Amino acid sequence: MKVKLWGTRGSIPSPGPETIRYGGNTSCVGVTLSDGSLLALDAGSGIRSLGLALGPEPTRLHILLTHLHLDHILGLAFFAPAFRPQTEIVIWGPASPDASLRDRIARYISAPLSPVEVRELPCDVSFRHAPDSEWEIGPARIRAASVSHRGPTLGYRIDDGDSSLTYIPDHEPGLGADLDRLEDDWISGFSLAQDTSMLIHDGQYTDAEYPDHLGWGHSSLRDALAFARRTEAERTVLFHHDPLHSDEFLDRFGAEARERWAEQGGDPAAIELGVERAEYELPARAAKPVVKAATV
Amino acid sequence: MTQRPLELILARNLMSALSTPAFLVDEGGILAFYNEAAGMMLGKRFEELGTVGAEEWGSLFGPFDESGAPIPYDELPLVTAVRSGRPAHAEYVIHSSDGASHAVEVSAFPILTAHGSQGGIAIFWPAGTNGDGARPA
Repeated sequence: MKVKLWGTRGSIPSPGPETIRYGGNTSCVGVTLSDGSLLALDAGSGIRSLGLALGPEPTRLHILLTHLHLDHILGLAFFAPAFRPQTEIVIWGPASPDASLRDRIARYISAPLSPVEVRELPCDVSFRHAPDSEWEIGPARIRAASVSHRGPTLGYRIDDGDSSLTYIPDHEPGLGADLDRLEDDWISGFSLAQDTSMLIHDGQYTDAEYPDHLGWGHSSLRDALAFARRTEAERTVLFHHDPLHSDEFLDRFGAEARERWAEQGGDPAAIELGVERAEYELPARAAKPVVKAATV
Repeated sequence: MTQRPLELILARNLMSALSTPAFLVDEGGILAFYNEAAGMMLGKRFEELGTVGAEEWGSLFGPFDESGAPIPYDELPLVTAVRSGRPAHAEYVIHSSDGASHAVEVSAFPILTAHGSQGGIAIFWPAGTNGDGARPA
């Protein structure tokens, strides 16, 4: 399984000289399964670059949306393959008592917010609610589960062969709870991340920032580290960087994360901050993922 | 390990922060959690008791009928109502761990998951019942 981070920022695209290394695009992770099947995890502004990288060849792609906050879907209307009739796209996302997934996405891809409507997309696009039970895409087993965030929100786990990727970019597992005192089964998202090869997890706030953002749906560094430690993820990528956090700030934040991880008995090399365009190849479990490229 | 439904996790987190005595029963009828306020009323903290089935709970704390016999959990009108998806309110007598009897008013609500299935039951003993209804065992 190959993984590439196309957007690591949270909340709003934040381009500029102060975010050039960690990136300013919002959430999108490209995943290539062992048989070549393509997945995109979320469709933030980063999916625009993913679409351009795919080139003009016919494409079949699954987009797994964690939720429908704008920073996770705003790239959909600018995803080049969606404007080609030879493209087939399956969009998965959380169910809601409010409306179907298609209708909720259409609120964004419609006038006056968008010049095109969902029905006008020339590609073959379908919408599916992520089921409560495991399903398969190509050689991979996919699992989705509701996690603690504002509104219906999913985390995903993708198992392909012996390697696994867990993606929970927007997550506040410590809301009203001390993770160190909870049993495993009472921790939001725990079963998705347990013993995973790579965990991509919300790490938006410093511990000092978190009290002013309690209930906003994101993690403090303390809770992100506690979640990674409790689930025994082999490698953790902190993700969904706050738009106010510059490259220099994130350098310090990453150093603090590694230091605190080491203090808790972890390997400091097993925790890092997500960097736009970083690529990973997840080998079988028990071997460390190989970082192929990172721009920091 | 079976992951608890998120709805139950969030309910527990909420209850943990309340001064209203509150209980959480999972979809299998197991008492999965109660908060500190409930623990004070029962005379036993949840951490001391842990998760218990309905039968054990009934023998420890009740509720009891007029003759003092525990009322089976499955026969409680409140349980029947909530299992059918309706909220319910009732008055019962329970015993705390020191043997004292307490008349309590109970409000219970079904918790439905995002997929529409029964996730459990949230039970509150509204403030004011603690102590006010105490009477000798």
